[in-house]
Amino acid sequence: MKTDLSPRLRVALYGLLCVLLIPFVFPTWWMLTSSVKPISDIFAFPPDLWPRRFDFSTYAKVFELQPFARQYWNSAYIAAIVTLGTMVVSSMAGYAFARIKFPFSNTMFMIVLLGLLIPSEVTIVPLFQMFLGWGMINTHWPLILVPVFGAPSVFATFVMRQFFIALPGELEEAARVDGLGRFKIFWLIALPLAKPALGAVAIFTFLHSWNLYLEPIVFLSSTQMFTLPQALTQFTDAYGGAMWNIQLAAATMTAIPVLVVFIIAQKQFVEGLAHTGLKG
Amino acid sequence: MSLMTETPPRKRPFWTMARRDAAAGYLFIAPQLIGIIAFVLIPLCLVFYYSLHEWNVLANTFNFVGAANYQMLLADRALPQVLLSSAIFSVGLVVLNMSLALLLAVLLDQKLKGITVFRTLFFSPVVVSLVAWTIVWSFLLQNNGGINGMLAMIGVEGPNWLRNPTTAMISVIVVQVFKNVGLNMILFLAALQGVPKELYEAARVDGAGHFKQFRRITLPMISPTILLTSIITIVGSLQVFAQIAVLTQGGPGMTTTVLVYYLYQQAFQFHFFGYGSTLSILLFVIVAVLTFVQWQMRKRIVFYEN
Amino acid sequence: MRRTILGSTFAALAITTGLTAPTFAQDAINLRMTIWSANEAHLAMFNEIAEGFKASNPDVSIAFEPIPFENYTTTLTTQIAGGNPPDLAWILESNAADFVNSGALAPLTEAFTATEGYDMADVSEQATALWQKDGQLYAYPFSTSPFAIFVNNDVIKAAGAKTPAELIAEDAWTWDNAFATAATVGQSGKTGLVVRDFKYQVWQNMASIWNAWGATPWSADGKTCTFADQPMVDAMTAIHKAIFVDGAMPGPGEDIDFFTGETGMTITQISRASLLPKEDPFDWDLVPLPSGPVGTYAVVGQAGVGAFAASPNVETAVAFLGYMTNPENSQKLAQFFPPARASLLNAQTLGATNPLLSAEQIENVVIDGISYGMVLPGHTNFAQIQQTVRSSLDALWVADADVPAVLQSVCDSVGPLLAR
Repeated sequence: MKTDLSPRLRVALYGLLCVLLIPFVFPTWWMLTSSVKPISDIFAFPPDLWPRRFDFSTYAKVFELQPFARQYWNSAYIAAIVTLGTMVVSSMAGYAFARIKFPFSNTMFMIVLLGLLIPSEVTIVPLFQMFLGWGMINTHWPLILVPVFGAPSVFATFVMRQFFIALPGELEEAARVDGLGRFKIFWLIALPLAKPALGAVAIFTFLHSWNLYLEPIVFLSSTQMFTLPQALTQFTDAYGGAMWNIQLAAATMTAIPVLVVFIIAQKQFVEGLAHTGLKG
Repeated sequence: MSLMTETPPRKRPFWTMARRDAAAGYLFIAPQLIGIIAFVLIPLCLVFYYSLHEWNVLANTFNFVGAANYQMLLADRALPQVLLSSAIFSVGLVVLNMSLALLLAVLLDQKLKGITVFRTLFFSPVVVSLVAWTIVWSFLLQNNGGINGMLAMIGVEGPNWLRNPTTAMISVIVVQVFKNVGLNMILFLAALQGVPKELYEAARVDGAGHFKQFRRITLPMISPTILLTSIITIVGSLQVFAQIAVLTQGGPGMTTTVLVYYLYQQAFQFHFFGYGSTLSILLFVIVAVLTFVQWQMRKRIVFYEN
Repeated sequence: MRRTILGSTFAALAITTGLTAPTFAQDAINLRMTIWSANEAHLAMFNEIAEGFKASNPDVSIAFEPIPFENYTTTLTTQIAGGNPPDLAWILESNAADFVNSGALAPLTEAFTATEGYDMADVSEQATALWQKDGQLYAYPFSTSPFAIFVNNDVIKAAGAKTPAELIAEDAWTWDNAFATAATVGQSGKTGLVVRDFKYQVWQNMASIWNAWGATPWSADGKTCTFADQPMVDAMTAIHKAIFVDGAMPGPGEDIDFFTGETGMTITQISRASLLPKEDPFDWDLVPLPSGPVGTYAVVGQAGVGAFAASPNVETAVAFLGYMTNPENSQKLAQFFPPARASLLNAQTLGATNPLLSAEQIENVVIDGISYGMVLPGHTNFAQIQQTVRSSLDALWVADADVPAVLQSVCDSVGPLLAR
């Protein structure tokens, strides 16, 4: 499939990709340009492809109206902890489900897979009650504990399991002969080989945590504690109307760093996933 | 963990290799398993418990009513329409999402200058704020909006996208697909790159054309990924409702009221938590059955299995 | 050495992260009020009022908790269901009946009348109607904002139609003439009249038009559907004609924003004046709603604030509410939220706080509107009723709709819910 294309095919392919790109890029473009428009120009119809007037003060206002830097830090550190935690939890569980024989492992795997099946709206009320009982409302614990140990990490465990299943057994056998225990085999042999799969898990987990919306709204109540997706909804004028330009400036600042990381990491990411094979 | 494994092997025969392995296994899965029990199973049991009650949150009434909510489920005249809408939405979403993701993945797997830029741009909606995304699309889909404006230029009179039962459903599906197809695209792209190049060489020697190569080699080789992404996408499709709430509020009529949106309305907007919990259980059963069926079918769909 | 570095790192982390809940002194009373505004000017004002309360109640502190408007009711419901209701909460008018009738809120009348200088009689009877049950007040309407029409005279004059100001001068400001002006604008290629936030979904906002026909969605006791009654049929027929025959109003799926300057008129609450463009503004005006078959009328939108009966500090919460809405603080609130107190309904008070409006506009639109305005329709279990009506009413928004038949079908589907 991956042959060098003839120049004519190449041009056709570029053309096709550009046309397909329109619905993907236009909303992002609108978000970017609207973030520097005065609010009265945002809903101009038809939408302007290029702002008629520029108003860059929106970006400064984002920081004046909300503790946005603080909220940025909240989102960043929560996503970082969740990503690291999920990598640990899911690589261990994935390794055990793939490589260790123990009674009821299949049953337990099925139980874990249940986590994939439940929308968060379904369990939000009982979870709220539980975290209230533990005194964790308006702390970041629910946003860390649930993703690391609960339903969102199951996909990661699944990916890790698929990776470890495909790993050749000879390396482990050799290590066992050398007298290494399970933990050392996992830590010194299996895990270093799993870097590509871990990379994929890291990106998916980070994105999930970064974009989490319902849970922060339910669990957090003071602006100092808010995360970014939640903070985006907080830019309103004196009468509760949304200050769209400022909101979109904040949304732009939320999206750009992730896109930059994606550009830098996408090669490793894609290759990482490619190596896992993700076999059903 | 380290404590366990670093304990010197005792001479007692109790700690056989198999037993030590089993203990390690349980320890390794313990965090995940306990998490699932605490944050999924117990809450789910509580939801089931709520579903046996009439619970009006505001009035603070919580009365045991047995199976009454389940009888209400059977008698709910809106439910058949809701289930039908959910089925149409999910099937449409999965088919469109998977085929577009595969098409994009194949296109982006080519050796081209600047392909990284294209990949990033196709992926970008995944990280764009949902709020911004839906505002723009509700603009474009208006009767006098951007899409109909473009159609008018080529002499076609476009439909009133969000107000016509058929096109409203198509619209919410398409908006959702564009937002999230990037994730599946990346999974497919990875799968395509994982296909050994030698297979294509061999096929070319045998004189197979591009299409035949795709059908005979590519598709079977990436079939595990197709299965995985289809499970994720179907399960995900049953959980979408934010866009529906913004774009159509479930209308016109009830045509875009899918199950999770209906559930959300009953529990959080109408304050019928008991009935909302019953609908949650229904949703859970549907998702579980679908996933089970797909998992069972994997041997027939998937080309190789470990 | 290493340990101390580690220790201080953890201490720093604990401070800069949100892993510990804020702690308070033991015997202090901490009240929590959920609000849907995150505006800093609002918060500053509320904090100022809270400080004032603290001066005489040093052990009480009040935290204002902004929740995004779209998720307000969901979040509040989750908190209540989870056993952690706030002590005080803003309540949307559409949910008023649910909250007032549920018994979730603490009664206020006695505490308020006992508060020194409160002057309960000053609070407009009309404004509190929605928030009472059996003569007992359960939430205070801190915002009573009249609906009015914002006008873009540039657009109307360009289309060659009569402006509302001209029609008012001729004593001919009726819906017939208003629709005629809007139709002329519509035919000129611009948009005639937009009912803001209606979007063919939030149908209760149409009350700002149909009240001119004396139409109501249901009977005064809320038990009987009156969508199919003659006043509503007449009103909806006129509206339907204005949309689909005359092009006076944009059709379904055409969401147009007045404040971008391409629209003749819009019906909305006066607080939206803040959206008027500041750079190269158009020639705008603010006029009361036109008169209809039943004469002149006014409509207001409201927001209330109540105290939860289940709160362990309910007495303090009610006391704070009494303080927050006393005459002095009501004047502070009036800079953002039109007040329900007769003593504040004068051009002087309102003019100081609404600098964009002329004295005449304040007199005609704001004061008259609040004094005799009817509130938007509300009902127990409104969310479900709203959805049911919305779903049936969708059939009306097509060019060839049979208006009486559709309205009858609305009653058929919503009737059983109302009768419950």
